[in-house]
Amino acid sequence: MGRVWPFHGGVHPPENKLQSNQSGIVSMPVPQQLVLPLNQHIGAPAKCLLEVGTKVLKGQLIASAQGFVSANLHAPSSGTITVIDERTLPHPSALVGPCIVIDTDGQDQWIDHAGIDPLSVDQGELLQRIRSAGITGMGGAGFPSAVKLQAKTKINTLIINAAECEPYITADDRLIREYSEQIIAGVQIIRQLLDQPACIIGIEDNKTEAIAILSQALTGIDGIEVGVIPTKYPSGGEKQLIQILTGQQVPHGSIPADLGLVCHNVGTAKAIADAILLGQPLISRVTTVTGKAAAKAGNYQVLIGTQVSDLMAFAEVDLATTSRLVMGGPMMGFTLTDHQVSVIKSTNCILASSELELAPVADHHACIRCGQCEVVCPAELLPQQLFWFAKAEEFDKAQSHNLADCIECGACAWVCPSQIPLVQYYRFAKGRVKTLHAETQLAEHARLRFETREQRLIDEKLAKEEKRKARAVAAAAAQAAKRAANPDAEDPIAAALARVNQQKQASATCVTAEPPEDAYKALKTAAAITRTKLKKSSKALTDALASGHEQAESLQTTVDQLALKANAAKAALSAYETKLGLDPEHEKQLQLAAAQAGAVVRKLEKSLATAEDAAAIEAQIVIANTAHATANQALEAYQHKSTALQQQTQEP
Amino acid sequence: MALLNLSSPHHHSLNRTSRLMMWVLLATVPGLLAQSYWFGYGTVINLIWACVLALSFEALVLRLRKRPITPFISDGSALVTAFLLALALPPFSPWWLTLVAVLFAIVFAKHLYGGLGNNPFNPAMVGYALCLIAFPVSMTQWAGTENTLNLAQQWQWFWTETVSGGIDGYTQATPLDLMRHTKGLTLGELAATNPLLGLGLSASAWINAAYLAGGLGLLALRIFTWHAPVAMLASLGLCAGLFHMGEPDLYPSVGQHLFSGATMLAAFFIVTDPVTSATSRKGKLIFGAGVGLLVFIIRSYGAYPDAFAFAIILMNLAAPLIDTYTQPKAYGHQGNKDNER
Repeated sequence: MGRVWPFHGGVHPPENKLQSNQSGIVSMPVPQQLVLPLNQHIGAPAKCLLEVGTKVLKGQLIASAQGFVSANLHAPSSGTITVIDERTLPHPSALVGPCIVIDTDGQDQWIDHAGIDPLSVDQGELLQRIRSAGITGMGGAGFPSAVKLQAKTKINTLIINAAECEPYITADDRLIREYSEQIIAGVQIIRQLLDQPACIIGIEDNKTEAIAILSQALTGIDGIEVGVIPTKYPSGGEKQLIQILTGQQVPHGSIPADLGLVCHNVGTAKAIADAILLGQPLISRVTTVTGKAAAKAGNYQVLIGTQVSDLMAFAEVDLATTSRLVMGGPMMGFTLTDHQVSVIKSTNCILASSELELAPVADHHACIRCGQCEVVCPAELLPQQLFWFAKAEEFDKAQSHNLADCIECGACAWVCPSQIPLVQYYRFAKGRVKTLHAETQLAEHARLRFETREQRLIDEKLAKEEKRKARAVAAAAAQAAKRAANPDAEDPIAAALARVNQQKQASATCVTAEPPEDAYKALKTAAAITRTKLKKSSKALTDALASGHEQAESLQTTVDQLALKANAAKAALSAYETKLGLDPEHEKQLQLAAAQAGAVVRKLEKSLATAEDAAAIEAQIVIANTAHATANQALEAYQHKSTALQQQTQEP
Repeated sequence: MALLNLSSPHHHSLNRTSRLMMWVLLATVPGLLAQSYWFGYGTVINLIWACVLALSFEALVLRLRKRPITPFISDGSALVTAFLLALALPPFSPWWLTLVAVLFAIVFAKHLYGGLGNNPFNPAMVGYALCLIAFPVSMTQWAGTENTLNLAQQWQWFWTETVSGGIDGYTQATPLDLMRHTKGLTLGELAATNPLLGLGLSASAWINAAYLAGGLGLLALRIFTWHAPVAMLASLGLCAGLFHMGEPDLYPSVGQHLFSGATMLAAFFIVTDPVTSATSRKGKLIFGAGVGLLVFIIRSYGAYPDAFAFAIILMNLAAPLIDTYTQPKAYGHQGNKDNER
């Protein structure tokens, strides 16, 4: 037995293991219905291969892994696929997901299968068999095992996790006691796959019987040792167990394989042995059913896909006294509000607790920063600071305090004297950080896309310009060639340029000549200006009179003068108009007549669209159009005449 | 039964804030007894009065802030403030002095900042410092060791600040005060001319020893970690030792520094206040050491004989900064230089 290193923090909650570890594992009979979620593991969900109505045999592949990180799914018993639909998943979110429902036929008839001698095949074959057996980590996270066994780096130490540090759970304890031979066989297969690394089976010292049985079974076997570690939660966390057994910490952002380490659960080792030696895929597991509401607390060999309600009925759980139903342990498990969910490959415990068994729902008090959370945090964080940051939504600060390294073990919340649900705050903060990160990435993506588009448009424009220039150059060259071929001919471009220059000169002389003063316009303007001045002054005068201003008198004189001027300007204008034979009144009348005629035409055209007697209206339109044209002609004629008159008067 | 839907963990320790506070209160009892033995009934009267005031002010402010009264008042934090103030104030404090101190501590220093957990300064120390500045005469009127007032006489003093019968010498300056205002005498000459100094020092030492015992009890119960008190005592001891070695006639010895005034009360009951001190272990070491250093400086060169209130308030101010620079390395960040701050 090698050295054991300490890890920071940890707590000692009441173990509560005796309720379930005193009796042997009981095989639960095949239930009437099995519900198999397609995603029981980390990674991509499996793809359903069969259709509703298909008869399946026990161990038959029903859904296949999609991609590298995924896992196959097999029928846990024989029967018929009756439904493939969305059901509530055994997940904290209680969301629904695709499930295959098998109505069992009670025959429990195996598909043809056979084991092999692992020593007779190569590593590739072994790995392929483990992969096709759909084995995932059975400790809780459910990571596809074959992926972890396909290490890219040299593995020096294989750690088998049998710590089972969560209170209440005894599935691994009983598994070791009853299947130590198979577990060791599985460990040997894993070692063969990883080129025979040293192996330590980490187990908490509260499982004395399991330790004794395991040590007994290991006599005479080299390379595998039992690492008995002090009982302290969460020693079974992968990172913590690695530190306890090797003294090393997995650096942030790395995986254990980077240190030459790999960690597998003891249940996974047994599943691997079954897959290789017996040819049986992962279709059942040992699950602890415990808690004060369970009359027959103990460990059960349960088919994957068994409904929690069926398992509870078999373990005689009293639903009336169950206050909280937890899947997993009391420290990290999640509550189920619906017992119509399935036992999946990673379900190690169903805890049916009575009302007073677990911590009651308490109002939490203020954080007094007592620091006890910091003392127990196995990730060596400052939970009290993270709490303040999460509460204040200061996510950047939370991240700089290594929020991402929180393993959500719950030790801080367990010990908190103010009973603050700390883990919930961290989950919230992690979720927000994730969302914000995704949003930032989206924004960044949009920005990039916009910039790329802008650049593309600029590039296109430039390319066009280039082409145009190239064409111009080519044309010039062609022209030059033509000229070279026929030098006597007049240069058409030079001729055109000469013409343009001539025209320019001509127009320039026109512009320079001062246009004759428009006497009529000047008169009109003068009349308007004097009128306005008069108006202003009159208003000023009335104001001044009203307020009794002393300058009212002088104003009065100004107004009188202005009135005279305005009258004079008006007279001059009308005299000029008479002289020209212009009559503004007459022009206005003509304009009015033209506009009215136009309006009549438009009105008629409108009514034409809806009218029944279209022909009559069309005739009217023709007449109206004629009238309109006549009015317009009269107006134009008058305007033409007046313009001509004005020009005549200007000429001299 | 309807199934509860809660977030993990589903189990909880029996650890409660009120339990922590209760232990802190219990741990002050040895010091309280020692103080009463040497200086009479004054501290006890003070204590009861302070508790009544603290609970009343707490309830009143909670009501004004529209907060539930029972859960907050039962956390015991107001009582801890009351205890600390009563123990720190002179045994000859009149009723109004305690009232002002408690009012300022509970209402201003604690609730105006948002109540328990949100106050940047230690409430008891803010109350104490206010009184020290505003009423220096009353605050330095420490009981004499030969104080023979009975309970009735002490009670009379408490309300009227006179004692019928006119007993003389019931109050005197504290040893620290004497040692500071030496009137040009060396410490040796002072001890020779003033026989009360020796007696005062021994009383002070006993009281400090009692607080030390209570504090060690809390440490054993893991109510707080050793970092802040040990750092404080070490830095105070180190400064005192160095200066005493240099000029023993001018600077009191390490023992006199550690076992006089409010040294142990502060080290185990005030510096350890989690709300207002630094967070991480390294931070607590810096916080404690800073308090020790400031205490030595103020005791030696400042205008006040003892300096805990000011030293602690100053370090309270520095706590957020200390926190920023003492963030511990998380698991897996050992080799990470960025995180080393």
